[in-house]
Amino acid sequence: MINILLAGVGGQGTVLAAKVLAQAAQEKGWQVRTAETIGMSQRGGSVTSHVRMGDGDEEVFAPLIANGCAQMIIAFEPAEAARSLQFLAPGGIIVCAKSAMQPVTVALSGSAYHPEVLLDALRDQLVDGRRLVVVDDVELVQELGNRKALNTLLLACAIKAGEGVLPLSLDDLRAAITACVKERFVPLNLRAIDIVEAK
Amino acid sequence: MVKKLLMGNEAFAQAALEAGVNVVAGYPGTPSSELVETVAKLHAAGSAHDVYVEWSTNEAMALEVTAAASYAGARALFTCKNVGMNVASDPLMSLNYVGVNGGMVLFVADDPGPISSQTEQDTRRYAAFAKVPVLDPATPDQGFAMMKAAFELSERHHTPVIVRPTTRINHASTYFEVQEETHGRALPQEPFEGGPKYVILPVRAYAAHKEVNERLDRMASVDFVSDPQFNVFNPMFEYVPDDLVEPKLGILCGGVSTAYAREALAMLQQRASAAGMQLPAYRFMQVGTPYPFPKDLVSVFMQGLTDVLVIEEQDSFLEDQLNALSGERNVILNVYGKLTGHALTRGENSVDDCLERLAQFLGVYEESVASSFQRYVAPESEPLPVRPPTLCAGCPHRGSFYALKKALGKREAVLCGDIGCYTLGSAAPLKAVETCLCMGAGITMAQGFSVVKPGAKCIGIVGDSTFFASGLPGLTNAVYNQHDITVVVLDNATTAMTGAQPHPGTGITLMGPKHEGISIPGIFEACGFKKVLTANPLDLEASVAAAKEAIDFEGPSALVFVSPCIQLTKPGKPVTIDPDICTGCKKCITSIGCPGIAFSADAAGPKSGSRGQAYVDPSLCNGCTLCTQVCPFHAIKKEVCDD
Repeated sequence: MINILLAGVGGQGTVLAAKVLAQAAQEKGWQVRTAETIGMSQRGGSVTSHVRMGDGDEEVFAPLIANGCAQMIIAFEPAEAARSLQFLAPGGIIVCAKSAMQPVTVALSGSAYHPEVLLDALRDQLVDGRRLVVVDDVELVQELGNRKALNTLLLACAIKAGEGVLPLSLDDLRAAITACVKERFVPLNLRAIDIVEAK
Repeated sequence: MVKKLLMGNEAFAQAALEAGVNVVAGYPGTPSSELVETVAKLHAAGSAHDVYVEWSTNEAMALEVTAAASYAGARALFTCKNVGMNVASDPLMSLNYVGVNGGMVLFVADDPGPISSQTEQDTRRYAAFAKVPVLDPATPDQGFAMMKAAFELSERHHTPVIVRPTTRINHASTYFEVQEETHGRALPQEPFEGGPKYVILPVRAYAAHKEVNERLDRMASVDFVSDPQFNVFNPMFEYVPDDLVEPKLGILCGGVSTAYAREALAMLQQRASAAGMQLPAYRFMQVGTPYPFPKDLVSVFMQGLTDVLVIEEQDSFLEDQLNALSGERNVILNVYGKLTGHALTRGENSVDDCLERLAQFLGVYEESVASSFQRYVAPESEPLPVRPPTLCAGCPHRGSFYALKKALGKREAVLCGDIGCYTLGSAAPLKAVETCLCMGAGITMAQGFSVVKPGAKCIGIVGDSTFFASGLPGLTNAVYNQHDITVVVLDNATTAMTGAQPHPGTGITLMGPKHEGISIPGIFEACGFKKVLTANPLDLEASVAAAKEAIDFEGPSALVFVSPCIQLTKPGKPVTIDPDICTGCKKCITSIGCPGIAFSADAAGPKSGSRGQAYVDPSLCNGCTLCTQVCPFHAIKKEVCDD
């Protein structure tokens, strides 16, 4: 069974990313279940999307991933990566965008939020073969010229980093994008995958 | 047939359409809203034929509209969230006595957690209270089948039927084989003949109560037990490692907890066998038809068992029923669950929680509960930032709340809020919502406060959709009893929190072309409010002036803040903060708390010294320019359009 958790901030596009992954699994003939955070948290709160793929004989029962069972966490924001660590399986990978979104609570309380400090602390804590891959999303977005496809950039980074962990290829991603993204946005998203592939 | 990835709510809509539903009505509320939206979308796309769909003004309206449709022979579907049932309960109680004709299904989405609701109320209890059958799915797939079966059950017994999924089913997706086109069932041509059967006078109620009791008995003892269309929702299986051993242990589940428990059992089995052990024999049952309780089936489940663990969310519904049944049938059974401290008594269940409790119950705790996960431990100097939901950058409510607070100044006031995005106005720094009880309560609670706190300015704050849903009677109450309050309507031209549904003020329906919306100021005037003002909340000065005028008025007054939700409009250009002017005073943050503005302690400029500076996140800012009106040093600049 493959479990992928997408963690981010409401509005960042985790829902569509989960849909794309589900499509990729479906094209492989796997059973797939996803679950979303919809409702109040969508208003700038922490959100997660759970994607569960039955690539073997195991039946996927629950919509949500259990603690320590995700082979991959795709984090759209550093604090959300840290918040989701409990889901990561031993040997699993966190792929995380390096740019932070500072919540109003931080500015109000006067507390500090340095994403690079957080990511270092996170990396230092990882045990049992868990790994952190930090994505320079600023550079990728700049090259693409559009932040709207951040989710596809991160999916591509995750598949690249997940070789040997995730049985999905960039071509699987391309096919899934073409099947479930609005037609006029397909070229932008395919270009996002190309950029990641060329890195 | 075509294979599609559908979210639970989309699947429920598809199932109802495939069942030939003719009329669908509901009021938006998370986690239920996508059902009506899906029907409307498929109707608009031309693939769902012969179906009428509406967003009703509130849940009671929706239930009454669908009840009449059912009387007239149509298949009808009502939708709401858990607390929506409270609003619809008045018609429901009597409707069940009258009975229905066309299949009548109530889709009520419960919200354990709660994740987006005021309470964790359990609709299975409502079903039992109203004496209406309820189906309780474990997965979206099962819910799809239940929705279709519910129409059959309803018509067989002339009873409304509740289908009660929970958030994790409503918002979980999987692939479904679906019909590409659907058709509403042909409607009867003969005229509707009303009369005594449909007039719920006491004598009719007494007779009807017998019908209700008898059909519940038939469902519990026949349909749910021996009709394969329904007993499939009460599946039972045994795990027997050694053929000679009869299970003594039983696991009884309801709802999504069934899926959690089955997954936890699969994990336990793996871990136990890795430790060279075997799980003891057990019997497992899901009760997918919790009311009326399928006693004869559960009796089969109980046979030979000594101990049963009940796993369910919200109330101890199944546990109560099992306790009652074992008493009734003189079976000595140890029942473990919420009542005995062996299950969570609030919030959501999870695979993790089920794993621990099942391991304990099956006596394999030591062998199988390994903590294979780690949590992030934040360094003391860098606590993990909390990220509660917040009003969006550019949300017009922010300006409304800030103007209200400015207008009130240091005067004593009570700010009674309501249900919607604007409940988030309770958070720092705005702190402009001091109470929130239920839909429509803000307006009327302000009136109660004004009686007991005559010196305070009592303000009822309500969104536009909530205003129409349940605010209107509060207006007449204010005028009738001459309460000195100010009603503030935050009119953003949509039902924002639940995903931007139209409402009576917009004139947009799910069926026909747009017509003239109902005027909110016009309603105030018609109700007898003598001071009715409107203001644009993104114009701070005008808004403060209007708020002062409305608040200072003696007697019921109204102020309507009009500015569309940012989800409906194209964003403007982001503002910028001039680092040469920013003093680092944080006024922009501490006054309006927009997520588009952050603070960097390390930034420095000629005016900010070592205090740090505010900066704008251009990916979030939508150019509403409220902050430019708040900064005392005019450091925040509206971008000049180059085109």
